[in-house]
Amino acid sequence: MKRTISILLIVALFAVLLAACDGEPAATSNDPTATPPVTSTAPTAPPPTLLDELGLDTDLKFTETRSITVEVFDRGQDAGKTKPEDSYYSKWIQEQVLATHHIDVTFTPIDRWGEADLIGPLLAGGDAPDVCVTYNKGAIDQYAAQGGVVELAQYLDTDDYKGLLPNLFSLLTEDNIFWDQNTDGSLYSLEGRLMNPQRINTFVREDWLTALNLTAPTNIDEFEAMLVAFKEGAATLLGSDAARMVPFSTSYDVGWRIDHLAASFVPSSAVTNDKEFYTTGFDDRHLQRANYKEAVRKLNDWYNKGLVWKDFALYPAGDTTEDDMIKSGYVGSFIHNWDYPYRSGLDGIQGALQTVKPDAAFIAVESFKDDAGNYTKFLSGPVDRKIFFPSSNEEVTASFLYLDWMATFENYNFLQIGNEGVVHEKQADGSVKVIAATNEEIQNSQYNIDYTITMNGLSLATPEATAGSIAFGYGGIDSRLISIAFAASINDGHLGRNPRFGALEAESGMDTVLKEKRDALLDQSVVASVADFDSVWDAGWADYLASGGQAIIDSRIAKWEELYGSATQLP
Amino acid sequence: MAAFPAKAPTLQKTGALKYVKRYWTLYLLLLLPIAYFALFRYFPMQYIQLAFKKYMIMIDGVKVNVWQMPWVDPWFDHFKTAFANKDFWNALKNTLILNGLDLVVGFPAPILLALLLNELTFKKFKRVTQTIAYMPHFLSWVIIYGLALQLFAPSTGLVNDLIRALGGGGIDFLNNKTWWVFTYVILGVWQSIGWNTIIYLAAITGISPELYEAAAVDGAGRFRKMWHVTLPGIRPTIVVLLIMQIGRIVGGDFDRPFAMTNKLVTDVSTVIPIFTYNYGILANKYGLATAVGLFQSVVCVIFLLASNKLAEKFGERGIW
Repeated sequence: MKRTISILLIVALFAVLLAACDGEPAATSNDPTATPPVTSTAPTAPPPTLLDELGLDTDLKFTETRSITVEVFDRGQDAGKTKPEDSYYSKWIQEQVLATHHIDVTFTPIDRWGEADLIGPLLAGGDAPDVCVTYNKGAIDQYAAQGGVVELAQYLDTDDYKGLLPNLFSLLTEDNIFWDQNTDGSLYSLEGRLMNPQRINTFVREDWLTALNLTAPTNIDEFEAMLVAFKEGAATLLGSDAARMVPFSTSYDVGWRIDHLAASFVPSSAVTNDKEFYTTGFDDRHLQRANYKEAVRKLNDWYNKGLVWKDFALYPAGDTTEDDMIKSGYVGSFIHNWDYPYRSGLDGIQGALQTVKPDAAFIAVESFKDDAGNYTKFLSGPVDRKIFFPSSNEEVTASFLYLDWMATFENYNFLQIGNEGVVHEKQADGSVKVIAATNEEIQNSQYNIDYTITMNGLSLATPEATAGSIAFGYGGIDSRLISIAFAASINDGHLGRNPRFGALEAESGMDTVLKEKRDALLDQSVVASVADFDSVWDAGWADYLASGGQAIIDSRIAKWEELYGSATQLP
Repeated sequence: MAAFPAKAPTLQKTGALKYVKRYWTLYLLLLLPIAYFALFRYFPMQYIQLAFKKYMIMIDGVKVNVWQMPWVDPWFDHFKTAFANKDFWNALKNTLILNGLDLVVGFPAPILLALLLNELTFKKFKRVTQTIAYMPHFLSWVIIYGLALQLFAPSTGLVNDLIRALGGGGIDFLNNKTWWVFTYVILGVWQSIGWNTIIYLAAITGISPELYEAAAVDGAGRFRKMWHVTLPGIRPTIVVLLIMQIGRIVGGDFDRPFAMTNKLVTDVSTVIPIFTYNYGILANKYGLATAVGLFQSVVCVIFLLASNKLAEKFGERGIW
């Protein structure tokens, strides 16, 4: 009964949130349940002359088969995963696209965790696939400046061409399609649509709270007291493994892993003031935000009190040591992706933890309030991966038609939920329950997001069906935990909007360099002694600013003033 | 197999063409290495131009190659950018320090090991020891760093567990800058010592046994023989290898510091190849990367020539 109620509650909650996401344009940026303005206009059918010119018939089939290559993220072949370029789904896409448009698709696998670094050399070597996808917007801007990327507005800004791509415009909307447009009108990438705004959560071991007779921490002092209690109660909680106790875990990517903590230290006035928010918004970990240093000082304090995993800086991206530690039950709390412990259902962290200790569970909590008393979280806009065509692409129309095919409901719907009885079970209310397929129909990424490059996140026929399905989307995990995580992740969230700065010269090529400096600054500041913290931080911060960080802030301020004058809010 | 004549005809008598014709099989064998060097060493040198050019993929909608890319103005602009970057000077300093330590610690180590191995009388034990010593050479630095983590991680490393069990407080081998340099150098010695002994052991076998016999007659013990016979016998080999090592003082590996680094030690671990990778390859500044690479090569050649000259001045043969 309890389980049924919790499922009903989560469905209701998700339905409200998702229905709101499909609603009218939001007046301000601060409501995470609202989606940014949708200004899509219904494309008209393309004129016959255009079809002739492009070699298409009236069914949008090429009269002569065209060939394109498409990038697909590769997450390795562990845990039964298949080769993304040669899987059940890649073959299905190839057959369908060939039949629909006479386009022969070849997939090019790119390491998921190295893609941001790999895309540059691939472009430089002329080996990039015809349809590329990346999170590295900086690389696209740089290669565009070198003539290495196809300018897209020349196609997408014409009504005739829009008529070829009704599904793409319908799913992405003009906002996402022109999100990256430069002030001179040029456009080099499309933004895939982020279907759900959830980003990060703070997780704690619920069973440890119970064992130590603690309640979920609701402010930073309670959170710290909880960490101390975990440390002091190590013998009770871990027995002979007490020495392995890690009250709070992080990784070398401190910026991501203290996100909620850091957001709470940023003055609320710096968040509500659009000018300040977007001119200090270059770094995706929010390093440039006011008062960020104090959040790191707090972590430094915890580190020196022995509350933080000592080895955090040693393991590179993709290393599983920390996950293994969490699965083994040694970690009391951490901040990470909003659904991180529940991913992969019973094969993931929560599942493994339950195997070690059946009543163990990670639960999302909200413990970090800002100066206005809100649990502020920085959420991104409805944008996700960036799609672009390198200048070596000789099949631009075929590439666009591929994206349009991928943006068609029937197609992404099959990729997201697979075959009934194998990958999902249909529920009476229209929602689907995901079954973790272990045969060739296994989904290498949740809802096959690596194939559905035009979108990230589940989207079924109705918001209610989507809501119900997300509740069932983590095979075997208690839906109560997912419900709490879903709500906590966006409560008091601040949704990002598009300041329309376009590509700025000061930011060109600086992503990697400043990311390296940021990570070094954060890691070194965390492990510094309390007495040395200020000197370590100040030196690293000065270096960051001198290495391009300040020039970027100045350049953004100049652009803001050029676009919006003395206004402090976006129109 | 072609039969070789007992006496090779001179070029003057028969002409170069005839000479080549007669030994065509040998020249055929030479083709492969020549092709290798031409393809992978000389052909790519055309891209050195990038150090003076603006990297472009297309100009006015037309794909361009390196010859068609525009020159930067002034021509030394990429060098100016590199030299104005304090990270470059830090990388240069780190490169010199780490390579210098490798030279001081890593260079004599295989000589010592070769001398010790040479003194072993039990041949089977010698062979087994040699084989075990070679093994790390075949491991990639990624694997070696994985092993290092298992051994030296502050809270879970085996060595630190042992130190703590013995009452110590643990050592930050990998997350303290000074200790990281120590670990870097020691792991470098461990990885290369066995492999680098091969050439010295080969040189030692070339020393005439009569010299050892004569030394024994003169009453020399093992140490004296080592000092007065073995070491002088392999001195030309040592000098050649030393010159080559000095020639690489500003160069060096990418994979070793890259695999071993972490965000806590970037101040001491970022060497020139990593600087080039971060600022050049990842940041898509190929002109800058090539300029730094060219600078590195020129400095290496200067060091090589200088050390060779110095060796000749002290009566050694050098490498030419």
